[in-house]
Amino acid sequence: MAKEVSAKQVLSAAEEIVVDVADFGDAVNAEVRYHTGGRRKNAYVYIEVVASEWRALALWLKKTKQVDYCSMITGIHWPENADASWQVVAHLLRTGVTNPAVVNKRVHEIKVDIGGLSGNSTPLEFEISMTIPDTREPSVPSVADIWVGADWNEKETWDLVGIDFDGHVGMRRVLLPHDSPTGYHPLQKQHKLRYHDFNEMYDDPQGFGRKPEDSGRVK
Amino acid sequence: MAEMWISMGPQHPMTHGLWTLKVKVDGETVVDTEPDLGYIHRGVEKICEARDFTQITTYCDRLCYASANTWSHAYIYAAEDLLEVEVPERAEYIRMVAVELQRIASHLMWLGAYCPDVGNLTGMVWCLREREMMMDLLQELGGSRMHYNFPRVGGVKRDLPIGFALRCRAKLKLFLDRIQEYEALLDESTIFLIRTQGVGYAKAEEMINHGVSGPNVRAAGHNYDVRWAHPYSIYDELDWEPSVERPSIKGSDCYDRYRVRVEEMRQSALMVLEGLDKMPGGADTHYQSGDPAIIAKAPARAAEGQTGYHHFEDSRGESMFYLVGGGDERGKHPYRVSIRSPMFITIPYASKCMIGYKIADIPAIMGSFDPCIGETDR
Repeated sequence: MAKEVSAKQVLSAAEEIVVDVADFGDAVNAEVRYHTGGRRKNAYVYIEVVASEWRALALWLKKTKQVDYCSMITGIHWPENADASWQVVAHLLRTGVTNPAVVNKRVHEIKVDIGGLSGNSTPLEFEISMTIPDTREPSVPSVADIWVGADWNEKETWDLVGIDFDGHVGMRRVLLPHDSPTGYHPLQKQHKLRYHDFNEMYDDPQGFGRKPEDSGRVK
Repeated sequence: MAEMWISMGPQHPMTHGLWTLKVKVDGETVVDTEPDLGYIHRGVEKICEARDFTQITTYCDRLCYASANTWSHAYIYAAEDLLEVEVPERAEYIRMVAVELQRIASHLMWLGAYCPDVGNLTGMVWCLREREMMMDLLQELGGSRMHYNFPRVGGVKRDLPIGFALRCRAKLKLFLDRIQEYEALLDESTIFLIRTQGVGYAKAEEMINHGVSGPNVRAAGHNYDVRWAHPYSIYDELDWEPSVERPSIKGSDCYDRYRVRVEEMRQSALMVLEGLDKMPGGADTHYQSGDPAIIAKAPARAAEGQTGYHHFEDSRGESMFYLVGGGDERGKHPYRVSIRSPMFITIPYASKCMIGYKIADIPAIMGSFDPCIGETDR
């Protein structure tokens, strides 16, 4: 019995998704990508989607492709890039977890036959990316009702990055204090860390070795 | 009867760290809950943007003090995905040993904290006694007691110390016997069984939809494990199966979650024993010996916008790091580091899981999900 999912199983499942997702037309751009580190260079599905189509894609993945698990939704701020200054990245997994069956009034735990997994039952990783042009109020549709696991991820993304999620019920601060100023989202790039671009920190943390700008000049 | 909100925490023995659970009660019955997190938010993701790829490992250790090695390894695998680094086989074995020992130590810390929650103080003393053995072994590897900073991009900090395998085998064999003592102590304790059986039911599909994974899902009867589903490291060369529990029709209760973690400790100990036997010899524990400056090449290897991520089986569920390279302009710093903490997602679910039970069941249900606030708040 196979001990883990083989690269071949993953690749064929990923290719199937990329072929089927073409139904969405220009709004969705999918490809098979490969991890580049470690012992295995397993495939995963990378999808670029127009933000307005994200909900439709999510529903399709959930219903047709049994993608049942939202691992992470996060946001990135690219202030130097006016066409895509906000990016939302969602990582999904297909786990294939089901409730164990009841046989003769007894529950029997599931031990998956790993070698026999194929098609929609193969565990697979998805990376989904969408970008939003420069705006003061970035927003993408919420998927918290499709995967409840996305709920707190979206709260966190709004809290830290400032990207809002349309249709999200009960958006609030989760990691920052409740009374943080409106519009303050610390992972936006205009908020600099004290030591950004300051490499001398490690040699001279106290700054004793620093000299004034006019040092050595005739006064 | 009138309903009212009660605030449990931030300072409360049940909460395992600083967080507040607001509970709406009707008499003694829990009607609604609302978790309130963020008391120890340190901004690790922002700090990491100003650190280079080697320095971040140190911060990852501190995400969870009970399970430092799993977090730094989760980061390292993501960094290797970004920097396109392969690791020698011996290093992978050493990492597996470090991670599985850490998993045992983390579960022992969990059991040690959970026993007093449900009225069994002896369990805490016993678990912390055995955890000390694991801490000693990890200290030999990493050099410090809790925050090891052990993995490196492309390898591990150092080879196994002389005689490590000998001491590790002796301690794990002792530990495998001691697990039976826990089972004798807890499975035959009427108080423990009354407090844990039949409370906190959770079903597998519901948990997966809520983003809960790891031992909690395996307790509900499905052997889903990132180590075989999204494989990494050398787990395929070991003879193992993820521990899985047979739940009741209503789902897994607190007792199932306790059982699955005890089984997982046993499983991890056997994996380490087998790994020590199968570990290839030699001193090849780092990527391309003679190429120590892999980080100096980071700007070229991780161009701006290039990404790397890795799903990792943490002792509490599926953890994940998502890294975006910084390119030439930012030197060796990543542009963005995003951390997926399993407990950040699990705590809201566990809070909803206790609706309908009594106030006295709250510590038993909450504790059975193994909350850790350090990683939750980041």
